[in-house]
Amino acid sequence: MNEPGRPESPGEGADSHETRHGGRPARVFTGPGVPDPGLFSRVAPLLPHLVASARYHLPPVLELFLQTLLNGLAVGSLYALIALGYTMVYGILKFINFAHSDVFVLGAWVSYEVTRIAGWGGPDHPAPWWAGILVLIIAMFTCAIVGFTIERGAYKPLRRAPRLNVLITAIGVSLLLQNLGQLDFIFGTRPQGMPTLLPDRVLAEIGGHPAVVGPDGVVIANEVAPVLVRLVDVVGSATALLLMFVLDRLVFKTKMGRAMRAVSYNPGTAALMGIPVDRIISITFVIGATLAAAAGFLYSQKYSGLNQPAAPVWVLLGLKAFVAAVVGGIGNIRGAMLGGILIGLLEFFGATYIGPELKDVYVFGLLILVLLFRPGGILGSAAVEKV
Amino acid sequence: MTGTEPILKVEGISKAFGGLKAVQDFALTLNPGDVQGLIGPNGAGKTTCFNLLTGVYRPDAGRVQLNGAEVTGLRPYLIAGAGMARTFQNIRLFPDLSVLDNVMLGSHLRTRQNMTQAILRTRFHRADERAIERRARRLLELFELDTRAEEEARSLPYGDQRKLEIARALATDPKVLLLDEPAAGMNPQEKGELRGLIDRIRREFSVTVLLIEHDMNVVMKICETITVLDYGVTIAVGPPGRVQSDPKVIEAYLGVPGEAH
Amino acid sequence: MASAGQIEKPGPTLMGSAAIGWLPTIAIILAAVIIQITIRPMLGDFYAKVLLDIGVNIVLAVSLTMVNGFTGQFSMGHAAFMAVGGYTAATVMYYGSFRLFGEASMAGGVLSSMMSDREGPVPYFTRGDLLFLASTLFGGLVAAGCGYLVGLPSLRLRGDYLAIVTLGFGEIVRVLIQALTTDALYDADEIAATPVYQFPKYIGGALGFSGLPFYNSLFWSLGLAGLTILTAYRIKSSTFGRAFLSIREDEIAAEAMGVNTTRYKVRAFVIAAFFAGMAGALFAHTSGVQLNAGELGFLKSFDIIIMVVLGGLGSISGAAFAAIILTILPELLRQPAFLVHGWIVAVPLIAGGIALRMLAARRRADTSIPKLLIGFGVAVALLAIAAAIARSRDIDLGRYRMIFYALALIVIMIARPQGLLSVREIWERGLWRGLGNWVRSLRRETGEARP
Repeated sequence: MNEPGRPESPGEGADSHETRHGGRPARVFTGPGVPDPGLFSRVAPLLPHLVASARYHLPPVLELFLQTLLNGLAVGSLYALIALGYTMVYGILKFINFAHSDVFVLGAWVSYEVTRIAGWGGPDHPAPWWAGILVLIIAMFTCAIVGFTIERGAYKPLRRAPRLNVLITAIGVSLLLQNLGQLDFIFGTRPQGMPTLLPDRVLAEIGGHPAVVGPDGVVIANEVAPVLVRLVDVVGSATALLLMFVLDRLVFKTKMGRAMRAVSYNPGTAALMGIPVDRIISITFVIGATLAAAAGFLYSQKYSGLNQPAAPVWVLLGLKAFVAAVVGGIGNIRGAMLGGILIGLLEFFGATYIGPELKDVYVFGLLILVLLFRPGGILGSAAVEKV
Repeated sequence: MTGTEPILKVEGISKAFGGLKAVQDFALTLNPGDVQGLIGPNGAGKTTCFNLLTGVYRPDAGRVQLNGAEVTGLRPYLIAGAGMARTFQNIRLFPDLSVLDNVMLGSHLRTRQNMTQAILRTRFHRADERAIERRARRLLELFELDTRAEEEARSLPYGDQRKLEIARALATDPKVLLLDEPAAGMNPQEKGELRGLIDRIRREFSVTVLLIEHDMNVVMKICETITVLDYGVTIAVGPPGRVQSDPKVIEAYLGVPGEAH
Repeated sequence: MASAGQIEKPGPTLMGSAAIGWLPTIAIILAAVIIQITIRPMLGDFYAKVLLDIGVNIVLAVSLTMVNGFTGQFSMGHAAFMAVGGYTAATVMYYGSFRLFGEASMAGGVLSSMMSDREGPVPYFTRGDLLFLASTLFGGLVAAGCGYLVGLPSLRLRGDYLAIVTLGFGEIVRVLIQALTTDALYDADEIAATPVYQFPKYIGGALGFSGLPFYNSLFWSLGLAGLTILTAYRIKSSTFGRAFLSIREDEIAAEAMGVNTTRYKVRAFVIAAFFAGMAGALFAHTSGVQLNAGELGFLKSFDIIIMVVLGGLGSISGAAFAAIILTILPELLRQPAFLVHGWIVAVPLIAGGIALRMLAARRRADTSIPKLLIGFGVAVALLAIAAAIARSRDIDLGRYRMIFYALALIVIMIARPQGLLSVREIWERGLWRGLGNWVRSLRRETGEARP
């Protein structure tokens, strides 16, 4: 190790190398019998090796970081899509639509059922290129109808009821959707595997390297898998971003968007101004449900294992999306997008760098912190009750 | 306490919401036994003043002294404990509780029992509860609500709800009582009764009253001193007759210079 | 609400006698002893288990009523307090038994036994029971500490935000228990060698804490349920109950009337957590139950919320009643042959309800009681129809119970927003006084009825 003239390899790499080989001197790129000319001529040819050595000896920092970032962004954009539904309903009706996460689940399961009935997936029946689009549209349409029905059937009769009652009703609707979904003739109680319908191939490989074996046959660096940028992820995230962009335009640039914002500020005044409040509320629900359906479909493309409709995992996913909405500032559409991405990143970076077991703790911990120190969320402002 | 020392002394309190200066440099002195009025057009900042005095909002500047003690910016329950009670412009009763329970809650801050005693139902607790109830029933009799003591507060007619709010406020044993539009929504007969009631309250409970009221008839007949607010600024202070003829007041209400009279 | 007036002249209500200091407490404990000694052996194991579950569920529902019903704060993490109390008590009990008695098997007396066939003379009360009592109380106290921590954010948050925070807290508790702990120690020597402060690490992790002795019995469960109801009722009918309720009714007005709202909100959380923690302790030591944090997540919290809401937010008797019904219902749903006879109950209920309703409408009296009768009758009738279908097609109705609950929640919130009983107690509204008032209002001449 302390052989004169031998370039030191970076500390961490050398350590791990040493432990791996039981304290054997790390004679890596200096082969035996190299003559010993002057200092410069001695080091110069080693420079490329030095860089390579540093690269190989570090743990796959770059790959790990990139992978986490990509995962975080992909899931974050889904959270954002779901969070939009929560935030829009909260903005207008001021209650947590607990059933929203179940609409998301419905989106995922409808996607599965359509695919199953069409017989796509598997090596024998590859899905046509338009399969994804069709399934997405069917899922969005189904969820729009369900969202509309929920609003008209369960929430509209409670327009003037205390907020707590609406919250409890929402829990009721959520439980109802979950357990209806579990019925044998609907989705059943078994998890299913969802085939990939979106076009998929590897677009790019970033980083990674094969195992490096030294001249004396010693493994110097283990193989590091490259970060794969897959088309399916890109399409998924792009769809999510596109939908968010469309929604943003819709809310901030169209007449209907203005009506929605007016209703969210003050439904009474909006009604006096001739805005059809009930219709706007229904439209809001339908848009939220549509986005949730899209998120459900995209989720099923990213994670092919679909849990049964009443699985707690789903509720937890929905809750995290709600947390995203709160963190971004509930009632604030751009806040929901920001919050979704943030939660996705937090979850994956926490899981990678701290520990995966406590994934949920980071998210809910952040929620509690945000609510304690900035109750209105990042982009929101806290409302003051009028006396 | 000597009679000349003010019971409530407000020095230059201000409050702004964002760019809106809701109340500027509001000052007021209430002597024991006073009945004073606070009037002004809609949005003049009257209710904001009440909220500043009772701790719902924290004033940006100025001081509030109650009975010689500094209460500026304290939480509302502490100010209530120090002896200031109020009613609300848009009635805030406890609608699901009985009329009696509404008034009994007012005595909560004067209770000396603790929760353990309540759970163990000690002799002291029972005596205390009996005292609270006796007091509440007496108040209800005074306000002629005793026949409806067991009903839910929400089932009372509007005028009775206003009276119940005053009864509840009195149950806190206040030194200063702030009434926010007590006559709103009452018919002329009820308004007449209210005047007599406020007079009786002042004498029997030795409280000092500050009231916001839109009905000039009520204000002019009850109040000894009137403060007029407009856009958060005090534009006149004085006895009813003088305030009534103040050109600035007339302008604030009618929007035209004094020649209207 | 019962007022102190009834306390002055005892007798008009059943609970009026609660005024007399320790007497009800002693009566409840005695009753629990008697049930355990005389009734327990008569019941089969199945019915005894249902009764045992009813007791624990009553404690949970009534304690949550103090937060969600009295103060109007919406806690959705009640099961987490149960988990904290349960795990704390289990740790003390399990390792305490090893340290004190050399093994963790059941060492309780008659009062702690759920087994009907124990051999030889068994003492009434043993040191094992004493340890169980201590660890249950300790579990309650630790849960109360957590209740304090959760109550603190409620100072700043209201309504649905608080609901989400409590839900998040519940999930954090569950994940922490599952992720940060490992299997329990089983070897007596190893346990003897392990320092006490390390025990909380060995409480089962994701697989649950197994090997706990089954101390929970009708004595403990029904006794605690009785004491919880008594405490809740005494709080509610005191000046502190009015303070709690005033926060739920109108927080700003409550504060203006001198109620330290933050203090009472936190207190409500602490008291509720204390009882939920003790319920968790009993639950952990129940035969046939494996203490597992995974089962004490938000779904369990939802179960408790459903009881509180169905009972009427704020009604103690309503919550207890709902706890009983919702514990029995799943068992009933498995007995379609029995449920089919629901007609016997449903038909008179509906017919009588409709008749009373017509009468009440003609006299312009309150129609809420007939409506309640009709609603109940319709519910029973629907159950009977469902049972008939289930029997003919051989379906297990129990699997669909969550659908019934969910529908019931929605329908009740829409048709009867204040819950079945609102804040009132059964004896204050539904049966005695309410019925009396109502009958009187029927007798009144047409047109004289109050608005």
